[in-house]
Amino acid sequence: MSSNLLLPEETSSQTLRRRIMAIAGTVILVATYITLITTQPMGIVEGLGQGVALGTFAAYLVAAILLLLAVLSDLPVSTLTLIPVALVLNIILGQFVGSVMIPLYIDSIGTVIVGFLAGRRAGAATGVLSTLVWSLFAPTVLPFAAGAALVGFLAGTAARFGALRRIYLAPIAGVIAGVLVGVVSSPVATFVYGGTSGVGTGALVAAFSSMGDSLLSAVTKQALISDPGDKAVVFLVAAILVYALPKRLSGSFAFVRRYSVLGKRVSK
Amino acid sequence: MSRTISLHPFTILAVAVAVITVTTAASQWWLSCTVIGLCLLISGWAGDLKKLAVLSGAMLLPTFLSLLLIHGLISRDPAPAIAQWGPMRITVHGLEVALSLGLRTAVLVVVGLLCGLLIDKHQLVAAIDLSPVPPQLGYLLAATLFLLPQMGEKQHQIGEAQQLRKVGIGRGIIGWFQRVRLRAVPLVLASMQDAQDRAVHLSARGFPASGPRTRLRTVPDSSVQRGIRWAALVCAVLGPVLILAITLVGSQ
Repeated sequence: MSSNLLLPEETSSQTLRRRIMAIAGTVILVATYITLITTQPMGIVEGLGQGVALGTFAAYLVAAILLLLAVLSDLPVSTLTLIPVALVLNIILGQFVGSVMIPLYIDSIGTVIVGFLAGRRAGAATGVLSTLVWSLFAPTVLPFAAGAALVGFLAGTAARFGALRRIYLAPIAGVIAGVLVGVVSSPVATFVYGGTSGVGTGALVAAFSSMGDSLLSAVTKQALISDPGDKAVVFLVAAILVYALPKRLSGSFAFVRRYSVLGKRVSK
Repeated sequence: MSRTISLHPFTILAVAVAVITVTTAASQWWLSCTVIGLCLLISGWAGDLKKLAVLSGAMLLPTFLSLLLIHGLISRDPAPAIAQWGPMRITVHGLEVALSLGLRTAVLVVVGLLCGLLIDKHQLVAAIDLSPVPPQLGYLLAATLFLLPQMGEKQHQIGEAQQLRKVGIGRGIIGWFQRVRLRAVPLVLASMQDAQDRAVHLSARGFPASGPRTRLRTVPDSSVQRGIRWAALVCAVLGPVLILAITLVGSQ
């Protein structure tokens, strides 16, 4: 039955189109990543360096948009109304944390909350949308859309497999998510921007580079230091906020009930 | 008073994409500087010069410093160093790479920010709604842009209320954590409740509806603008390919 009684059910051709888009997005992302890792283009500004930058930028962005279009039509209205709130929370809480000079980003808290409450597809869509909207104010975040989608996807996956049933499991899931996100995002930082955009992270990359690492290797090591800690804090804070929600509210999400995301707190 | 351009938002975005891709592929400092200069001129005409300069500066200053650290101060180029001190090694090539990468990012930032300042957000939402993309996308963009100031105000009010209660005024990391908790928890709970209420209303009205709908807002468009959009997209794809091919042939 259609989730909305006023709307017709989706046809099989629409379902097929969405699946093709999801597969195409995933294939583009994986193929670009593998190509960059295996070939490791040398010059980032000489010869074809500009082409590599543009290609990486375009491939990561197109993959993220395809994944977004694949899942968008499938999201229930309760999730659609939650996503704008999550996007604004990403921005407001990120700004508040950033204003007190604490070396954390905490700019994906809304994305992780959506992943916890509405599942990995909704989390991934929130990640991409968050990047697209934020790019109106900070254009450099645009090629990181795929990384943001991965954060939401991994939050949903962690919640599905019980990372929220015990509060101490949330930061552990965050650390694992941070490692994966750091590894996926580092080619963008390397080949599109030639490093990082922060002075502190830039100093780390410079330190690794001076020890003989290639630029990609240095940026990946820096990401593996910064991202797991940040994501551990984000997952923990998001888990605490989800625990603070009234049971009536958290239980209204089918994903939470179906996979018993909060354990005994919400009955099936 | 800011001026806006009465162009279709997609026309502005398509031209911006073409400018960014062609400038990045060309990788010429004079072209990047010209594009940045033109953007500043346009923002001056639109009355947003100060805003663009401040926003761009805030983003580009740490980027340039970071690139200078990575490529300029710790260069691994075999060419003779112009200065060396411990692990720090400065070469002309390293500084050129840092400058080139910085200008590449600067073009993206300045052109992107100018687009954000010139495009009327209401027109952008209307244009997305009229395009063949899923209607959910238009709703999500509109809802986010209108929720942003509302929730910012709500967070400010929560902070004031907590100060009146004389809670969350401690110092240090514990005080900071208390402030975050006392602001974030009510903000998240209230916003989630609002989102759930909105979902009921939207579901009752059959969102997302498909088929033709009456729209009160029109987006200015013309065959000339459609032509510009197509030309810009062709330029954005073929321009870099041509430039890179010429560079490759030239280097051989």
